[in-house]
Amino acid sequence: MSLALRGLSLRLLAPLLLFAVLAAGWQWVAFNLKSILPPLEAVAADIAVRPGFYLGNLSVTVEAALAGFAAGGGIAFVLAVAVIHFRFLRSAVVPVALLLNVTPVVAISPALIVAFGFNAVPHIIVAAVSAFFPMLINAMTGLDAIDPQALEVFDSMSASRMDILWRLRLPSSLPYLFSGARLSITAAMVGSIVSEFMGTAHGIGAAIVIATTYLNLSQMWGAIFISAVSTLLLIGLVGLIERLVVRW
Amino acid sequence: MHELSERPAPLAETSDDVIAIRHVEKTFQQAGNPVHALSDVELTIERGEFVTLFGPSGCGKSTLLRIIAGLETQTSGSVSLFGQTPAEASRRKNISWVPQSSALLPWLSIRDNALLSDVVNRGADRAPHPERVHQDVDLVLEEMRLTDFAAALPSQLSGGMRQRAAIARGFVQGAPLMLMDEPFAALDELTRDSVRLHLLDVWERHRKTVVFVTHSAEEAALLSDRVAVMTPRPGRIAAMIDIDLPRPRTADLAETPEFHAKMNEIKRTLREGWKGDEP
Repeated sequence: MSLALRGLSLRLLAPLLLFAVLAAGWQWVAFNLKSILPPLEAVAADIAVRPGFYLGNLSVTVEAALAGFAAGGGIAFVLAVAVIHFRFLRSAVVPVALLLNVTPVVAISPALIVAFGFNAVPHIIVAAVSAFFPMLINAMTGLDAIDPQALEVFDSMSASRMDILWRLRLPSSLPYLFSGARLSITAAMVGSIVSEFMGTAHGIGAAIVIATTYLNLSQMWGAIFISAVSTLLLIGLVGLIERLVVRW
Repeated sequence: MHELSERPAPLAETSDDVIAIRHVEKTFQQAGNPVHALSDVELTIERGEFVTLFGPSGCGKSTLLRIIAGLETQTSGSVSLFGQTPAEASRRKNISWVPQSSALLPWLSIRDNALLSDVVNRGADRAPHPERVHQDVDLVLEEMRLTDFAAALPSQLSGGMRQRAAIARGFVQGAPLMLMDEPFAALDELTRDSVRLHLLDVWERHRKTVVFVTHSAEEAALLSDRVAVMTPRPGRIAAMIDIDLPRPRTADLAETPEFHAKMNEIKRTLREGWKGDEP
């Protein structure tokens, strides 16, 4: 076997092995302490028997997460562009963004339900707030991460701020924007799920809470696994788009 | 005449046909103390001349070049680029700047990089300045032996080729004045030799006015019509040396005793004007 092939199989084998060990540990706990974890086959069976239940709830959660990601990430990007061009804004925006970042989303969730009612809006807002900060920081860093000598070339021909933004800052920032998007979309999913713990009967978060009430361990862990896998897929999708866009 | 100056101003001082650098001073504050980066710099450059600013680090050669480009402003004195201030010349895209690194945009092909001046500051193209003659990009790439790499990304090219592409970008812009800030400093010696000859070759054809910064006496002697030898603390032009070697210059020239005499004259002039940093 060639060295490269052996390296590849090792890279595939190592995580699989760790998964196998974790699964074995899980099964041991599920078998001996029935109230802590359900057997994995019970979780798999629950998902296989009623995929519609899981996918229906998942679509509610993902829709809220994507809407929040678009809103929070979009506002963060626009703010980052503004901060890059008007430096005095940085001292105003950064502390507020930090404050927003350290405020626990579970804490604002009830307040949002009071304000906006029992609909998707509070969940979208929580997802947006969660997505905002990682995108803001990455966009601010990325838009400033330009080759200073390339900037001199632009300056030597009196390039406008618009020229510099579109032709230099924006393309330079793309790798940072995609890093930010990966973090933001993860945060938006977490925000969306956590906000669904309250004030709704729909979504993955609600499915987890309802399962808790009925001590339905299989449904609880089914929902958790589905949310984790779907978040991974979303991150993979961002990575795929990055590979199509950032080709240099 | 109301005022009598000590010496009458030469005609060149009012001419729009030269680059006139008059009494340029640059002082900046470092840890509360004023530092004289440039002291009373006087320089006149004729149209089509290749002039090199040569000197050790700290002599202000790059600062002077940046002032000519309008990237920095002098503390006092004046700079006229064929009758325009550096800011006016920059607004009309009449300055081609070639930096130390190639500073190519990694997401653009070599051809698109060479065409950068087309997509930036488009306002200057509505009524293009008569002195700026846009050059055909494919022709310049051919002159720089980059035709086969026109569609390649900068990351696919060697360091020397990237630098050639940066020079091509400067020539395509077609500005009457090219400013080069140690463009070969980051290259290895063999690559440097070859890119220098490429530059000479293309320059012979375009005959742009060039102000070139280097700390290599060999480079200065090979490329220039005149060399301004600069010394530090305070940064000033210690002497001007004419390089009256025949053109077009080739690799063979570098082996002649005349070339070595010029190179040694440049080095000797620097030594005489500057005793080094030792106390």
